[in-house]
Amino acid sequence: MLELRNLTVHYGQKRVVDDVDLALAPGRTLGLAGESGSGKSTVAMSVLRLLPRTARVDGQVLLDGEDVRTMSWGRLRAVRWASASVVFQGAMHALNPVRRVGEQIAEPMRLHGTPGSVAELLEQVELPRHKARAYPHELSGGQKQRVMIAMALACGPRLVIADEPTTALDVVVQAQVLALMTRLVAERDLALLMISHDLSVLAQTCEDLAVMQHGRLVERGRTREVVANPRHPHTAALTAAFPVIGDRRHRWAEPRPAPEPLLRVRDLVVDYGRTRAVDGVDLTVGHGEVVALVGQSGSGKTTLARTIMGLRRPSSGRVIFDGAEVPRGGRALKAFRRQVQLVLQDPSSALNPRHTVFEAVAEGLRVHGLREDEEALVTAAVERAELRPASLYLRSLPHELSGGQQQRVVIAGALVLRPRLLVADEPVASLDASVRGEVVALLLRLRRELGLASLLITHDLGLAWQIADRVAVMHQGNIVEQGPAEEVLLTPAHDYTRALLAAVPVLGPPATG
Amino acid sequence: MRLLGRAGGAALSLLMVAVLGFFLFRVVPGDPVVSMTRGRPTTPETQAALRAQFGLDLPLHEQFFRYFTSLLRGDLGTSFTFRRPVAEVVLERLGPTLLLVGTSTVIAVALGLWLGVLAAWRRGSAFDRVTTGVSLTLWAVPTFWLGMLLMMVTGDFFPSRGMRDTDTAPDFLSQALDVGHHLVLPSITLVAVVCAEYALVMRSSLLEELHAPYLTTARAKGLRDDLVRRRHAVPNAVLPAITLVFLRFGLVVSGAITTETVFSWPGLGLLFYDALTGPDYFLLQGLLVVTAGAVVVMNLLADVLHGVLDPRVKVV
Repeated sequence: MLELRNLTVHYGQKRVVDDVDLALAPGRTLGLAGESGSGKSTVAMSVLRLLPRTARVDGQVLLDGEDVRTMSWGRLRAVRWASASVVFQGAMHALNPVRRVGEQIAEPMRLHGTPGSVAELLEQVELPRHKARAYPHELSGGQKQRVMIAMALACGPRLVIADEPTTALDVVVQAQVLALMTRLVAERDLALLMISHDLSVLAQTCEDLAVMQHGRLVERGRTREVVANPRHPHTAALTAAFPVIGDRRHRWAEPRPAPEPLLRVRDLVVDYGRTRAVDGVDLTVGHGEVVALVGQSGSGKTTLARTIMGLRRPSSGRVIFDGAEVPRGGRALKAFRRQVQLVLQDPSSALNPRHTVFEAVAEGLRVHGLREDEEALVTAAVERAELRPASLYLRSLPHELSGGQQQRVVIAGALVLRPRLLVADEPVASLDASVRGEVVALLLRLRRELGLASLLITHDLGLAWQIADRVAVMHQGNIVEQGPAEEVLLTPAHDYTRALLAAVPVLGPPATG
Repeated sequence: MRLLGRAGGAALSLLMVAVLGFFLFRVVPGDPVVSMTRGRPTTPETQAALRAQFGLDLPLHEQFFRYFTSLLRGDLGTSFTFRRPVAEVVLERLGPTLLLVGTSTVIAVALGLWLGVLAAWRRGSAFDRVTTGVSLTLWAVPTFWLGMLLMMVTGDFFPSRGMRDTDTAPDFLSQALDVGHHLVLPSITLVAVVCAEYALVMRSSLLEELHAPYLTTARAKGLRDDLVRRRHAVPNAVLPAITLVFLRFGLVVSGAITTETVFSWPGLGLLFYDALTGPDYFLLQGLLVVTAGAVVVMNLLADVLHGVLDPRVKVV
């Protein structure tokens, strides 16, 4: 069906894919794993010759025995989508924002003269027919991904390439989308090439697994065997980086006595117009305690965090920090904000691209009028965030740093104000597995050395298992369950917590053999 | 809801324009009566009579009340250089301006957007480099200089003054041909300048979209390159240009002061120039209200159209 022979791709002098051989038989499923920059997406895009003109492709890309590299443009256009289609990361901007999704699904059918109806395709991906008239922004992330899948199936291809199809979706929706893909691939006897940085996602969907590192294929085999007995150290590192809930070795938080409360939220209600985002929440974070607030997107966890930080006014209820009510404005609110600092998910957009590390970290000091010893304070914070020696990084601009280093800069910017509570919104979600572990360890070390408390907002239950002392589960504006991490994650009392846990992909053989 | 808010905002802007128009010409130095009677021997009595005639002897708030109520009736006061109502003078000049600036703008927008799209799509090519280079040059060159250069280069081939010759036959066809003949040079000047602006704006707007993932989706579907551009890239890239296009349409009414002056085109731009040399305060005041009002209205239209073209913007 698909065969890559000695595939090598250069961008200028840089070799991003290095001598890759892969084969995929009809009806088989192959997962391609790797971290960002490993070349996995470049491999996927080379199949339909979708790489930018600056890329130089050598080797052979055989689709049904025909080399894609030497096809005429007309032949290539005929092959695209009809022989092989792509499921892009639909939650991002893979759909045209100004056209109805129905038109976008119908477009390749008209182009390739395939019979069929949009309504039927939507039914197959379990979306109501009337969604054809919707624009992408009117759909949720999961619905957009379903539209992408419907679109990929429109011309009845025999090969589907899925590029990070569930990244940016929360666990429950991810599980639904994966189940849908698995079902459709089996029903239609499709060959599937799935690309992901998440080994557990691939382990659930694919019979075979290939792992890439620095443009090279380092391991390939049956998924079951690769996951159970990784032969290459990089594969081993990737499998080990995934926290397994219930595995003691992955639980890094030490048991400690219940601390004095630092932050107390009492019966908090927050409304957005007529929508009630937070509906009577009680939550406590102790001195030096790490509390994970878990839930799906739209559960109200980010609104709760914003209200705690004094960025939104509650409709009713109280937020008490260190024994005093959080001020509603003026100087007192500013002083409070200094003690509570925020770390956002995506460091590349949280940092101003034109500010050096020094300026990014010093900004907080300047806002709060702490101009003395600026240099010393910034250096200390940067080193605290484990960018050592600080002098190497202070003059750098964000784009010169890796994702992990950028996130450390964001953390340094929070630390420089000597806060007592860190509110971290998905702090490791955009990081590669290997870097993720280091940042998680950093958060724990800060707690140990500075007594810094953290409120961790995440949909990643594995992260909660790794470092949280306590876990609060949020669902539709309510906290449905909270308690010590081991209790909540190992013996969940609420149905919703059980549903969340069931949706977490685990490393193991695919569900459908 | 949003539309209502926008309309309210526009109404407020119009009100501000009316108020500003009144006070702006009351705080500028110089006595209108002195400039009215410049070069003629006057007595204090005739000056007083003129003041009374134009209501300049009344207290400021009464002047404003008179001005505002007559403005609501569509009366913009009386021009003292033309000795006729301002509204009448403005209306008379509106036709020629719409003809010249309107046609030029429509051509310039269409041509500019098209050139910008092609330049961005073939970025780095010879076509792109030439288009961008020429556009930048045309944009930087002073309009009057370009106009004068065109006059010199074309010699007597195209008329360079006014809108029609006095000795043309009175039938419609000859008149239309004559006006068209006169229209050539000023409209080329205008198109060159305005079109350059649009080419550059559209080019940078489309360059922003070129790496959008949905374009990769479109290519993967097997769409031809020009379909990817027409169906997917341009509808997104044109959105930021819409506001600019309509701002330009709003400015059509104010005419092109330099172009009309250089070519003596009897439009609002030339009228502006004449009113300034007067200075004819009431005429300037009237022109300001009319042209600023046109910009406000066009901006409102741009907002509405943006809502129609971009489903992410809620119109109602």
